[in-house]
Amino acid sequence: MNDLYTAVVHDVKNQLAELALRLGKRKDAQHEMAMVMGAARRLSEMLLVYQDAENLLQVNTDSVSPEDFLAILTAEYRELFPALTITVVTDRAPACAFFDDALVRLALSNALHNACRHARTAICVSAYQDEEMLVFSIVDDGEGFSEDVLASQGRTPTASRGTGTGLGLYLAHKIALRHRLQACHGTIRLSNEPGGCFRMFLP
Amino acid sequence: MEGMRSQLRMSLSSSGFAKLHVVSTIKEALERISQHHYDVILCDYMLGDSTDGQQFLEYLRTRDLIHRNTIFVMITAEQSYERVVTASECAPDDYLLKPFTAGQFNTRLEKLLDRQDYFTAIDRASDKKNWAQVIVECDKLLVAKDKYFVDLCKIKGAALIRDKRVAQAATLYREIIALRPLAWAKLGLARALVLLNEKEEAVRLAREILDETPQFMAAYDFLSKLMAESGDKKAALEVLQSAGRVSPGTMSRIREVSTLAISTGQHEIAEKLMRATLQKHKHSPVRQADDFTVLSRALMHQGKTDEALAVVKDAQKTFTDPHSSVLLGATESRVHRSAGNEMLALAALDKVMQVGELGHLPADAVMAMADACFALNREEDAIRLLRHAVQNHHEDAAIKGKVHDVLVAAGKDTAEASAMIANSTSEVVLLNNDGVKKAQAGQLNEAIQLLCEASDSLPNNLQILGNAALVMALDLLRNGQTPEKLAMCLARRESLVIKSPHNPKLEQIDGVLKQLKP
Repeated sequence: MNDLYTAVVHDVKNQLAELALRLGKRKDAQHEMAMVMGAARRLSEMLLVYQDAENLLQVNTDSVSPEDFLAILTAEYRELFPALTITVVTDRAPACAFFDDALVRLALSNALHNACRHARTAICVSAYQDEEMLVFSIVDDGEGFSEDVLASQGRTPTASRGTGTGLGLYLAHKIALRHRLQACHGTIRLSNEPGGCFRMFLP
Repeated sequence: MEGMRSQLRMSLSSSGFAKLHVVSTIKEALERISQHHYDVILCDYMLGDSTDGQQFLEYLRTRDLIHRNTIFVMITAEQSYERVVTASECAPDDYLLKPFTAGQFNTRLEKLLDRQDYFTAIDRASDKKNWAQVIVECDKLLVAKDKYFVDLCKIKGAALIRDKRVAQAATLYREIIALRPLAWAKLGLARALVLLNEKEEAVRLAREILDETPQFMAAYDFLSKLMAESGDKKAALEVLQSAGRVSPGTMSRIREVSTLAISTGQHEIAEKLMRATLQKHKHSPVRQADDFTVLSRALMHQGKTDEALAVVKDAQKTFTDPHSSVLLGATESRVHRSAGNEMLALAALDKVMQVGELGHLPADAVMAMADACFALNREEDAIRLLRHAVQNHHEDAAIKGKVHDVLVAAGKDTAEASAMIANSTSEVVLLNNDGVKKAQAGQLNEAIQLLCEASDSLPNNLQILGNAALVMALDLLRNGQTPEKLAMCLARRESLVIKSPHNPKLEQIDGVLKQLKP
C-alpha cells in the first residue's frame, strides 16, 4: 500500500481518536464509543490484511502473561458494553505463553466485539493449555454464527451473523496461521454451543 | 493533541496519580526530566518539533536521562511503528494504540505499575551498572517461575554478558531457545558467541534471525558491526541498507550507514541520507555535531567544497562545546585544504590544536584532528595524536579500528598502520608494567611519579589509573599517611569509580585502604 493510503488511514484514526475523546466525556455514549472503536479496528485490520497478502505481515513472538493479556482485552469491552457480564477464566492457562501480543489482541478484539453485539447477557473469555496448543476461547449466549460463517471458518471473508464484512474473522485466521513453531501453525475454530464460540489455537 | 493531553490528565488523576506534569514541547519535557524523577512518562509518537517519540525515547535512554524503572508508554496511531520497534533494542515499556478507552488505559497502567514494583531492585542495580547485583536479584525472583520468568531471563542474559560471564550467558540463551526460539534469545547467543570467538556461528545465527524475523532491527546492527570489524565494510553497509528498507531507522543507525558509505567511497549515499535526516530533524535535539561533519565530508569528497564549508559553518553556530568545536574545526580545515585554500586550512587547524589537554577529549575528536594534520602534511603531529588516542583507550578495539582507518586514508598501508597501533599499545603496556615492577621492588615514590604522570596524560586508560591509585594506597600503608596524600589517592580512586564503577582493581585498592589506621 503506498504511503498516501497509509497516511490517510492514520489521519482517519486520529480523527476517530479525537471523536472517542469527546464521547468519553459523556457518560451515556458507550454505544457510540463502541462504533468508533469498531471503525478504528476495521482500519487496522484492513492494513494488516493487505500486509498479509503482500507477505509483509511478520509475527513478533515473545512471552506474554495470558492472565494480564485477557484482563487488558476485556477492560475495554466491559466499559463499552456495561449491560453484559464478561467473565475471564485463566486457571488452566500457563503463567507465560508465547505469541504476538499486538496481533492476537487485534484478532481477539474483533471476536469479542462480535460476541458483545450478539450476546444476550453474558460472555466467557478464557485461556487454557490444550496439549501443545494455547487456546483462547470467547463464548457468548446469543443466537450463534450463521451457517455461512460456520461453513467458511474465517477462510474467506464472510459476513458474520449476517452483518459486517467478515474481515475480522478472516484476519484472525491469517494471524493464527502466521504463528508457527516447527511444523505446527495456529488456527481458529468457530462453532455454536449453542451461542457463538470462537476459539484460537496457537502453537 | 490538546484533547488527548487533557483526557490523559483526567484518567491519571482518577487513578490516584497526585503529581502530574503535562508539557507540549520536547524542550520542556527535557527540562522537567532533568529536574524530577518520574514514575511514568506518556509520550505521543508524533511529537512535532521534527522529532518522533521513538527518537525522544532513544535520546533519553542512551544518555541515561531516565531511570530504568521509569515506565515509558508510547501513544500512537501507527501500527506499523509498533510492528518494527517491538523488536528493537530501545523499545518503550508499552504501546497504546489510538483510539483507546479510559478503562483499557487504566488496566494497562495498573499492570505496568505492578511490573515496575516487581522489578524495582533489578532496575536499581541496572541504573548503577552493577551487573553482578542484577544477576543476584534476577536469581532471587527466577525460582518462582511466575509470569515474568522469561523477562527475567532476558535481563539476566544481558547482565551476564556485561559482567563478562559469557559462557554462562550462552548456556542461559540456549535454555531459552530450547523453550522457544525467540529472536532476542538467538541474538543474545550470537553476541555471546562473538565474545567466545565463534564468529562464524554468530554470523550464521544473525542471518537466521533476519530470515525468520526481518523486522528485528537489532540483528541488522549486530551483523553489520561484525562485518565491519572483520574488515568487510561493503558487506556491513549492505546489511544496514537492507535494514533501512524495513524501517527508516534510528539516528545511530543512520550515522553508521553514512560513515560506512564514506569509508567505502560511496559519498553520494552518505550525502543523500544525512542531508535528508538533518532536514527532517531540524530544530531537534537528536542531531549532533558529528552528523554535520559526516555530511560535510561526503560533500567534500565529491568536490562540492563550498557546500561542505557551508554545512560546517552552519553547525558551528549551534554546537559550541569543546568536543564539537574540535570536530567541526578539524573538518573545516580538511574542507579548506580540499578546496586548495591552504592558508585557511592551517588557520582552522591551528585554532583546533590550541585545545590544550588531549586526555579529556573523546577519541573521535582526537582522530579528526589527526586526519586534518595528515591533510596538511603535519605527519608528526598526526602520529602523536593517534598514538595518544590508542594509548588512552588501549583496550578498546573499536577505537583502534578507527585509528587504523585514519592511517589508511592518509596513505599508509595496512601493515604499517597495524604496526603503529601495536607499537603504541605495547608502549603503554610496558609503561604500566614498569610502574608495577617499581612498586613491587619497593620503589614506591618512583612508581607513583611514573604512573601518576602517565595517568594525567592518559586519563581514560583505566589500567594506569587503577594502578596509580593502588600504589598510592600502598604508600599510605607502608610509609604513613598525611591528609594530602590520602586525598590524592582517594581522588584517583573516585575517578576510577566514575569511569568504571565495577573495575576489579577497586577491590584491591579498597582492600589496602581498609588496613589504614584511622
